[in-house]
Amino acid sequence: MTNDWTYCDGNGKLTGRISRRNFLAGTSATLLAAALGSSALAQVLVSEQPKTQNTLVVIFLRGGADGLNWVVPYFESGYYAARPSLSIPAPNSAGGDKARAFDLDGKFGLHPSFGALRDRIGEGEVAFVHACGSGDRTRSHFEAMSLMERGLFREESGNWQGWLGAYLKAVPRSDAAVRAVAIGSLMPDSLTGSSALALSSLQDLHIDSQDTDQISALRKSYADARGDRMGDAGSRLFQALDRLKDLNAKTYRPGGNAKYPVSDLGEGLRQVAMLIKARVGLEVACLDRGSWDTHVSQGSTTGWFADNVQDVADSLEAFRRDLGSGMENVTVVVQTEFGRRVQENVVLGTDHGRGSVMMVMGGGVRGGMVHGAWPGLGKEDLDEVGDLRVVNDYRNVLGEILTKRFGLRHANQVFHDLDYRTLEVLA
Amino acid sequence: MDRIDSAKAAAIGLGAVALAGCERFITTALPENFEPGSAPEESRFLARAGFGARPGEAEALKVQGQQAWIDSQLKGDAEEPNTLQSRLFKLDVLRLDTSDLFDLPEGEVMRQLQTAAILRAVYSPNQLRERMVDFWVNHFNIYAPKEDGTFFLARDQETVVRKHALGSFPEMVKASAHSPAMLRYLDNAGNKKGQPNENYARELMELHTLGVDGGYTQKDVQEVARCLTGWTVENRFMRPRGKFRFDSNLHDTGEKHVLGHVIPANGGEQDGERVLEIVAMHPSTARHLARKLCRYFGLTETASRIENLTRTYLDNQGQIAPVVRLVVEDAEFTAPESRVVKRPFDLIVSAIRQFGGDTDGRKPLIQHLDAMRQPLLNWPMPDGFPVDTEAWETTLLARWNFALALSEDRIGGTSIPKRELEKKGKDQVATLAAKLALNRTEEQGFSFTKNIALCVASPDFQWR
Repeated sequence: MTNDWTYCDGNGKLTGRISRRNFLAGTSATLLAAALGSSALAQVLVSEQPKTQNTLVVIFLRGGADGLNWVVPYFESGYYAARPSLSIPAPNSAGGDKARAFDLDGKFGLHPSFGALRDRIGEGEVAFVHACGSGDRTRSHFEAMSLMERGLFREESGNWQGWLGAYLKAVPRSDAAVRAVAIGSLMPDSLTGSSALALSSLQDLHIDSQDTDQISALRKSYADARGDRMGDAGSRLFQALDRLKDLNAKTYRPGGNAKYPVSDLGEGLRQVAMLIKARVGLEVACLDRGSWDTHVSQGSTTGWFADNVQDVADSLEAFRRDLGSGMENVTVVVQTEFGRRVQENVVLGTDHGRGSVMMVMGGGVRGGMVHGAWPGLGKEDLDEVGDLRVVNDYRNVLGEILTKRFGLRHANQVFHDLDYRTLEVLA
Repeated sequence: MDRIDSAKAAAIGLGAVALAGCERFITTALPENFEPGSAPEESRFLARAGFGARPGEAEALKVQGQQAWIDSQLKGDAEEPNTLQSRLFKLDVLRLDTSDLFDLPEGEVMRQLQTAAILRAVYSPNQLRERMVDFWVNHFNIYAPKEDGTFFLARDQETVVRKHALGSFPEMVKASAHSPAMLRYLDNAGNKKGQPNENYARELMELHTLGVDGGYTQKDVQEVARCLTGWTVENRFMRPRGKFRFDSNLHDTGEKHVLGHVIPANGGEQDGERVLEIVAMHPSTARHLARKLCRYFGLTETASRIENLTRTYLDNQGQIAPVVRLVVEDAEFTAPESRVVKRPFDLIVSAIRQFGGDTDGRKPLIQHLDAMRQPLLNWPMPDGFPVDTEAWETTLLARWNFALALSEDRIGGTSIPKRELEKKGKDQVATLAAKLALNRTEEQGFSFTKNIALCVASPDFQWR
């Protein structure tokens, strides 16, 4: 098979596409560099797909991530009063970088274990929305996740379609071999109503036959049926499988010397990066990161929660490096079903709460800041049982991403009863 | 569910004992003159009007004639073979009442429901009826995981869709409106005076009857919801779960106006019954069904065809058989270009049938349906699994892997009689594979097994 994804060293921006045929036909590297612009060769692609595909990567933090210890409102005295043991010291505290938050905007700071993304945040590639969530008041993981995955604010009858399923239906495309995947064996409810694939790994994306003659015959039968919808779909799939094979999961070398952490999320993002590079038409990828239900011994700058936060940051930094300039076409959104009680509990954990954090990273993000409203942490500011109030509907963030980056005409096509207001998280 | 009467059950039970330990056997002996591909038009006809021809069936149809086939199939009462009856008899979901099913794990109940659907499509001689069951199951779709729907679905399938598949549409709508599974799925079970829930009322008109452009208003939706207040499911202490119940205490007794009809005050349960009569025989419903049938069977929605089907429906008081007759007798019905993409369920059933295969319809086969993204009875929206090509063209990899697994005997409980096929029809299968998969006629020299895989995985085989 032709290797039509040639990975070259460097950080140049990809400004054009040059066919491998031209490349082999004797175009000199210098000419090619000129054609690509001033920078060095980044990637040389043979493209059979005319337009660049934007990819949405949705990472769901399952269990209710504590937004307050992740994006720390260090300007609120109420935060420190409520969390004598668990709070993250403000950026100007003594004790060194690992023992205090790093500053975001003079009011909020980030957990020190999120440090792998510090430069990206500083460069404005990562944005946050705080006090964000749904109207769920059951504080049940199941109920709250189910609401979010169906794109609802509060429970209502009838709607069992996932928000991503609704999006894929609202913006139909038929030139993708693999339009949507869930990495992990389970299909999240957000993709319900779509024909997304659930992959426990990219190894699942293969034809169960060792017989090359038989596979060639199958390939030919689809090539001969070009023009037939299924014929075209099969030919696209063969191309995608070829590219994936060339990238080979075992020998794959990530770009930018990226080192993915040895974790489910790291491995999952590595696979998403491969799918993106294989240009299979990937539009949506869903990943889960569990273990956020920190009722007991949550830890502060170190410990359980810190390890979780570090895994997210390390995995995403590796993903960012791996994709290089390709990140321009990617939007990563990190969400969780609810936040946690402001007051720490007697076993040094936090209980189920309401508002938490959403994070958005990638092309076109207006980053380095916290968007949306902030309800405050004073006694009178809190929800009935002492929770950070939800003042930013999570769907406004998702709606903005889908409309600005993914061709959805109006957010209400996916979020039917949303009174859509952009938080201007994206440019 | 109503129990199968005991005499019949005993007889079948004996059969089941006799068959114990003999799960895999050839149910349909292959005919001597097996010539696949020799009756292409009949093959297409059977792939569309049913789930595909078993070996020899297309050739037999050529002799019998389509007209005679249609006449007998529209009755839909051919006796089911013992193979099918004995396998269905083993399924608790077809024997137990809803309330008793709650003693079983939900996953097991779900698998049995899926098994029953596969077995019937594969083995039933009433192929047109099974084809229409597939149509109606999706028309009155219920998402099993919602509100314990799994446990209520067995009865729903028997009393709504299977009972009326070729009978009366107004009766089917009525049965569906009384079905605990539907009442729960679309929330009418909680629709009460003062706190109306419009979900079922809306889908009744939008999807089940009039169609989205069928001329009803939001006001009609609200009024229909009022008429249906109190239509709920038995859930009182010590009463068997899973029966329809009209609770007059929850019913809105006021006067209502539905689609131009006045529903007088104090009608009680009759309000709902009246609504169902109005919507079931509404001209928009006839048109909606006509269009939907055309899409399902790949017929062009020309004005005259829709008009003809619509009139037939109305002239026959909503009887389904005369309408279906027009569809399958349509000159366009067997035309090569009237094709529709096979949903995964169509694919597995037609592959097994085409090669004279045998299946227990259990988990290993069901898993292939899941991988191809058609987990039966698990479509969340009330509109049913889609028929459009776009929805299915990204499922090819799983289809290819199914074809390979089937041909290589890697699906537990499912097999095709390769040795017998090879003896009787090797050359023909090779020719057919060459035609279907390779788009040319010369023999490729592949093994028989490989040819079967190429057939099932081919672009052509993805269409019915």
